[in-house]
Amino acid sequence: MRDRSISTWLAVAVLALIVLSVAASPWVAPYPPAEQNLALRLAPPSGAHWVGTDHLGRDILSRLLDGGRFSLSIAALATVLAGLVGTAIGVLSARRRGWVDEFFTRTNDVLLALPEMVIALFIVAVLGTGFPSLLLALIVTGWTPFARLARALAYDVSAQGFVQAARVLGCPPSFIVFRHVLPHLAAPMLGLATLRFGHLLINVGALSYLGLGVQPPQSDWGSMLAAAQPYAMRAPLTILAPGLAIFAVALCVTLLGQRLAHMTGSQLLLSRTPSRTPADA
Amino acid sequence: MKAFLARRTATLGVAVLLASFVVFLIPYVTPGDPVRKIIRSRVAGDVIDDATVQRLAVELGLQDPFWVQYVRWLARFCSGDMGLSHVSRTPVIDQVLPALSVTLSLVVLTLGTAAVAALVLGITAALQEGHVADRLITTTTQAFIAMPEYWLAPVLVLVFALKLSVLPSAGWTGPASAVLPVAALALRPTSYFTSAVREGVIDALRAEHIAAARSRGLTYAQAVWRHAVPNGMLPLTTMVSVWFAGLLGGSVIVEVIFAIPGMGRLLYDAVLNSDIPVAQGGVAVVVGLAVVLTTLADLAHRLLNPRLREHHA
Repeated sequence: MRDRSISTWLAVAVLALIVLSVAASPWVAPYPPAEQNLALRLAPPSGAHWVGTDHLGRDILSRLLDGGRFSLSIAALATVLAGLVGTAIGVLSARRRGWVDEFFTRTNDVLLALPEMVIALFIVAVLGTGFPSLLLALIVTGWTPFARLARALAYDVSAQGFVQAARVLGCPPSFIVFRHVLPHLAAPMLGLATLRFGHLLINVGALSYLGLGVQPPQSDWGSMLAAAQPYAMRAPLTILAPGLAIFAVALCVTLLGQRLAHMTGSQLLLSRTPSRTPADA
Repeated sequence: MKAFLARRTATLGVAVLLASFVVFLIPYVTPGDPVRKIIRSRVAGDVIDDATVQRLAVELGLQDPFWVQYVRWLARFCSGDMGLSHVSRTPVIDQVLPALSVTLSLVVLTLGTAAVAALVLGITAALQEGHVADRLITTTTQAFIAMPEYWLAPVLVLVFALKLSVLPSAGWTGPASAVLPVAALALRPTSYFTSAVREGVIDALRAEHIAAARSRGLTYAQAVWRHAVPNGMLPLTTMVSVWFAGLLGGSVIVEVIFAIPGMGRLLYDAVLNSDIPVAQGGVAVVVGLAVVLTTLADLAHRLLNPRLREHHA
């Protein structure tokens, strides 16, 4: 148990370091992220440029800090929105039952069978590239696990004696949902959101990598990786660094999510998440 | 079982119909004049003047009620006539089928590799539960889940194609060209499969029928191979089928990076070039196949696992 808590604290520390420095990037970044220095293109790491420079002589560390703001905030926003939509649908299904439940459960099944990337490509094809379609693509592909968990938990809670009692006493359904059902869902949903954040962060990067996410002149970790591809041989750090950033954050968040799931004792959450998150490429 | 079968088939039918309707709508919801877009996918020459557009719209039935158009479109689509690509001006079906066969071989290779690797790793980890080998395997596979393909693939290219020059960096020309893309694509499924196999085997090893088998005189190895290993393979079959559907179009990043002419790349190019007929054909084929495969997998799982049968009558 002890080494598990060490790895948890390590994950917290790494995550805190990355998030804080990304949040403070306008003040802590050594250079403006767009400042070019063509005399110093694809430079190896040095005292002046800790992680080297890219193909336009821009400081990679500064760009990582700046790009992280987009990667992390979009992934966080998408996680929260997908979580809210999924929870709402899940609770609604469990409370209403009948055809509402059937409809959402079937939709969930069908969405689960479809490759996330194909759905995302489809949405981008229809709406065009940009922030709204990126967010929509992430929510449409991201709400299903939340809905599944919320539905299962809401079913369980609704069968409990205190909910039955509240109903017999004449409490309106909205009161039962907000006073009894949602508080019981909060902890496991938070655990699931943590587990899903890493997944969504990887997907944000994937869409940006394909040029369908964050659009130039703005850049995030995924688009940095894509832009650096032709120069990988001359300056390996240009592709290694952004990938490592995504990897590190996704890994730490997933470790935390698993820990959280263990702490809340949500076996349901642990057994469901890995086997029911298929290809995300 | 019969009721389950009937319900599943009904859901399947509704899902496929709904998906096909969404695909049918693509030319209407994307920017531009839908009539001109549809004419361009149906008539080989370039049509510019309004008079011809008017005449063709009537000829092709584009002024009929919406649902008539949909039924007509669906019938054409199912007979394999998906129209002409807006970009290459060749029939869409001639692009979709070769791309599908490339992706299918990529996915089969990937999942085969992942399943074999996961069985070896998962069983090893389970038999060594708590020991060094188990911890090593568990930690590594957990870490690999967080590793994006779009990072792993360029790194693999950098090391094996550019620095060491032992494998080709792109293309789909033979066994050597498949090694890197399959490796990049197989890593995450391997990680998920390994933990599933490990848990399945560990569960079985703790179960009473293993103790019973041992007390009947089976050696430890016999008990493991006859009772624990099959139990580890059960979750694997479901996961492989779920991933199969997911990878059909989900391999887009790996296909783009390695310039593999598969479904993912076809869809990606179609979106970038606003090639609506190809996007329609690609999405329809992937979605249809994914839904059918998932349903079949569900069925197979129910047949393989007797414990699930009673619950769903």
